[in-house]
Amino acid sequence: MSAHLSVTEELGRPHLDVLEAPRWSCALGGALTTALGVYGVVPILHSGAGCGLGHQFGLTYASGNNAGGALGGTGTPCTCLVEEHVVFGGEPKLRNLIKSTIELVKGDLFAVVSGCVPSLIGDDTDAIIREFKGKSPLIHVKAPGFGGTSYQGYELFFEALAEQYLEPQPVKKGTINLLGVVPFQHLFWKGNLAALQSTFAKIGVEANIIVTEFNGVENLRRIPSAELNVALSPWNGHRAATAFEQKFGTPWQAHPRLPVGPKQTTSLIRNVAQALSLDKALVERVIAEEERSAYRFAEYFGDGLVLGLPHAYFAVVADSPTAVGITQYLANEIAYIPDIVILADDPPESARPAIIRELTDGVDVVNKPEVVFESDSYRIRQKLKNRNFLFLLASSLEKITAGEEYGAMHHSIAFPSYDRLILDRNYAGYRGGLALVEDLTSKWAGPL
Amino acid sequence: MSNEPNIPAIDLSTKTCPNREQRANGVNVFFGKASDLVAKARQGTLCNREREFQQSSGCLLNFYLSVRVPTIRDAAVVFHAPVGCSSSALGYRELYRGIPPGLGRPERFELQWITTNLNENDVVHGASDKLAFALREAERRYHPKAIFILTSCTAGIIGEDLEGTVAEVQPRINAKIVPVHCEGVRSRLVQTGYDALWHGILKYLVRKPTKKQPDLVNVASMLSYTWQDRLEIKRLLGKLGLRANFIPEFASVEDLQQLSEAAVTAPLCSTYTDYLSRGLEQEYGVPFFLYPSPMGIENTDNWLREIAKHTGKEKEVEDLIREEHAVWVPKMEKIRAEFLSLKGDGSQVSVLGALGQGRLLAQTPYFHEIGLKPIAAIAQDFDNLVLAETEQLIRERGDFPILINTFQAAEQAHLTQTLDPDLTLTCPFQGTSYKRRKGMTRIHALRGDALPSSTQSGYAGAIACGEFLLRSWKAKSFQQTMVEKTEDPYHQWWYEQPNPHHYVPDQPVRTEAGAAE
Repeated sequence: MSAHLSVTEELGRPHLDVLEAPRWSCALGGALTTALGVYGVVPILHSGAGCGLGHQFGLTYASGNNAGGALGGTGTPCTCLVEEHVVFGGEPKLRNLIKSTIELVKGDLFAVVSGCVPSLIGDDTDAIIREFKGKSPLIHVKAPGFGGTSYQGYELFFEALAEQYLEPQPVKKGTINLLGVVPFQHLFWKGNLAALQSTFAKIGVEANIIVTEFNGVENLRRIPSAELNVALSPWNGHRAATAFEQKFGTPWQAHPRLPVGPKQTTSLIRNVAQALSLDKALVERVIAEEERSAYRFAEYFGDGLVLGLPHAYFAVVADSPTAVGITQYLANEIAYIPDIVILADDPPESARPAIIRELTDGVDVVNKPEVVFESDSYRIRQKLKNRNFLFLLASSLEKITAGEEYGAMHHSIAFPSYDRLILDRNYAGYRGGLALVEDLTSKWAGPL
Repeated sequence: MSNEPNIPAIDLSTKTCPNREQRANGVNVFFGKASDLVAKARQGTLCNREREFQQSSGCLLNFYLSVRVPTIRDAAVVFHAPVGCSSSALGYRELYRGIPPGLGRPERFELQWITTNLNENDVVHGASDKLAFALREAERRYHPKAIFILTSCTAGIIGEDLEGTVAEVQPRINAKIVPVHCEGVRSRLVQTGYDALWHGILKYLVRKPTKKQPDLVNVASMLSYTWQDRLEIKRLLGKLGLRANFIPEFASVEDLQQLSEAAVTAPLCSTYTDYLSRGLEQEYGVPFFLYPSPMGIENTDNWLREIAKHTGKEKEVEDLIREEHAVWVPKMEKIRAEFLSLKGDGSQVSVLGALGQGRLLAQTPYFHEIGLKPIAAIAQDFDNLVLAETEQLIRERGDFPILINTFQAAEQAHLTQTLDPDLTLTCPFQGTSYKRRKGMTRIHALRGDALPSSTQSGYAGAIACGEFLLRSWKAKSFQQTMVEKTEDPYHQWWYEQPNPHHYVPDQPVRTEAGAAE
C-alpha cells in the first residue's frame, strides 16, 4: 500500500487497509472462481447465502462480462447459513448438502469452499469431509473471506489440492504446469493460457493449463507428473508451486510477467527450454518462425502507428503480471513511453523490488515511469491527475474519468472490467502484442 | 385492507427492523397449489423447512443492497465487512453512465464506497476503530451528505457495536450516518434486507416535514425497473401535475429526506415498498397504497386512480386514462390478438415466470391481459404482506401451482422442464435457465437500460413489453442451440422424479428459541 496516505491526527490511527473499491474479492471468492475455472470441479460453498451470487456480480461479470457457467451464480451449491446455524452449528447442513450435491450434480471432483461464518462459529468442516473419505472425491478449501484476497484464494485451492487429493507420480518428461494466471482476476486467463500452450506445443512441451479444458479434473490429477512448474507472475502461483515442490519435488521457475509479444515470449520459451534441456536448435527454429510471423504482421500496422500516433505516453493501472507484460511490450517493442504504472493487486513486499526493477531497468526509455503500489481506487484516481499520458490501460473503473479528468483514451486490460466482453481474446504470446495494438489503434484510427 | 393479517407497528426506537420471518411469517420454501399456500398462511401453519440441497441465492447484503445503496448520490457507503462482501459493488462508477444526459440523468454525479476490509486481526480484536476511521475518511474524501454503513455476517457474529461507534463519530462529522443491519446470517429472506434499509432511512434520514409538498409522489423503484420505466411514470404523473420522488436507487440524499413531505407513497413493487410506506404513514401521516403496481393497462389505470385519490386529481385522472387508452389500447388489442393466434390451434401460449412476490401479483394479471396463460408461478418468497392480494388473485384468476424459492436453480429447472411452458421468463443468473427448446426471454431489464423497448411500467411499458415478448417468440436460435449443444449440470434422474422439492424434508427448521417458526 502506498506510503503517501494523508492521514491527519484528527482521523485517529490510520488503517491502511480501509480502501475504496479494491480490485479483488476475498479468499472465498478466489477459491470459488478457481474451482469454477476447472471443468468438472463442483464447488460447494459452506457460507452465507450471498457468497455465490455476490461473486457473479463481483468476480465473473467484472471479468469482461463473463457468466460463471452452469455452476456459477445461483447454480453454486451452498449451505446458505443463517442464525440457527450460527447457534447450533452448520455441520449437519453441510453433511446433507455434500451428500445431495454428489447425487444431483454432475462432476468429477467436489470442492467444499468454506467462508467466514463456519470459521467464526467453529464448525469442524474437516470432520465432515472425512466422513466422505474413500467414497467420493472431495476436498476442503478453508477460505474465510477475512483471511485473504481472491489472489490468495487461488493459492488456497491448489494448496488444498496438493494436501488432500493429489498423489506423487513418476515425472513425465517434457511436461509443465502453467500457474499464476488466476481465473477471472486476470481478465484474459482463458485466451492467454491457450495461446501459450500452443506455442509450447511447437517446441515439444506439453503445457498443462489446468483451467478451461473439458478434462479439467484429469488436468488436476496430472499436476504432480510435471517436470517443471512455471509461474507466470512475479507473485501469483508461487505458493501453489511451493506446495507442489514440497509434496512432489517438482522444481519451479517464476517469470516476472505474463509475456506479451515476441521478446517476452521468447524469453519465457528459452528459460523453460533450458530448464528442460530441450534441443536448442529446434527451440531456436520455432522462435525464429514465430517471431518472423509476428513481425510480418506488425508491418501491417507500421504505417498507421508511425504516421498516426507514434511515441505516445501511456499509463497503466493493473495487476502486476499484466502491468509488467504490457508496459514492457509497449515500451520495448512499440516505442510508446510509460508515464506511470500503478500496481493495484497488492503484491507482497518481498515481490516489490523485482517488480520495480522490471518497470524501470526493464523498460527501454530515457525517463523511467513512476511506479506506484496502490490499491485504493480513490487515491489511484488522484494519482492519475495532471499527467501527460494519452492512453490509459486500466480497469473499467478508470473509464469514466479517463476522458473527463485525464484527457486520455481508455482501454480495459485489468480487473474489474465490465465494459468489454472477453472470451478467448489474448494479449499473451507471440501474437498477443498484435491484438493489443489492434485494440489500442482502434481507439483513434481514421483516414490518414 | 380489512382482511389483512395483523402486521405489527414499526418501532423506530430499535436498532433495526424485525426479520420478515417474524414480522410477516415469511417463508422461501413451498411447492403446491396457491390455494393451499394461502390456507396454510391463514392457519399459521406455513413454515420454513431446511433444504438438504440448496444453492447460493443472495443474502440481505448481496441481494442486493450492496449494488443498490452505493447508487445514492451525494452519499457514501462504508461496508463493514471482509472485502468479498462488497465486490459486487465494483460497477459503481459505471452504473447509470450509459443513460444519455438528454434522457434526464444528471451530467455530473459521484458514487463512492469504501470497505473496512475486515481481516483476521479485526475478527479477534474487534474493528470499531477501523469503522470510525472509515467513516471519518469517507467524510474527509467525499464530503457526502450521508454515509450508509452496510454490515456483514462477520461484523454481526463478532459482535461489533455499530451504534456505539456511530454515537462516537456522528458529532465529529457533518454527514448523517445511517447504519443498516443487513448481516447476511440474520434472515433467510432477502426482503429483510430491504426492510433494514428502510428502517435506517426512516430512523436516521427522513426529516420532520417542514412543509407538505402536495404534488410529490414517493415511488420506490428497484434495479429491475429501468430508466424508461421512470420516464413513463414521470410522464404520466406529469400530466396530472404531479412529481415523482424516485427512491432509493440513484436518489439524492435530499430525495430521501423529503419522503415525509410527499402526498402519497406509491408502489412499483408492494413487498419492496411495504416497510417504508407503513413507516412514513405511521410517523408522518403520509398515506400509502400497496396495490396495484403500474404494470399492464388495467393495473396502471388503478395505480393512477389510487394516486389521484390522495392528490385531489380524481377528475383529471379519468381524463388522462381516457386519453392514454385512445393511444395504447388499440395497440394492446393487436398484441393480444397476435398472442391468441400464435399457436394456431386455438390454445393459448403458456407462460412461466420466475418472479419476486410483488411481480407475482403485478405481472400475472398482465399476462392475462396480453393473452398469455400463466401455468404456474415461481416466487422468491411469500409472506403475510401479500396474503390478501394473493387470495384475491386466486379468486379472480383461478388456482395455480406455485413454487416458492429464492433463486433455487435446480428446483426452477425441474419445474420448467416438467411444465414445459411455451414461454419461460427468467433471470439468467442461474447457469442454465435460458437454455430452452421453446420460447424464452428475460423477465426484466435492469436500471441502467435506457432503451424504450425495455420498458415495462405504465401504458408505454405494457405495449413495449408485449412487443418484446412477441419478438422473443420469433427469435429462439440462441436458447435452442445452447440447449442442444451444452451439457446440463444435473443428472437425468432429477428430471425423471416428480418433485422439485425432492430435497425438502417435512420438519420445520429449528429456531433459536427451539420452537418451529
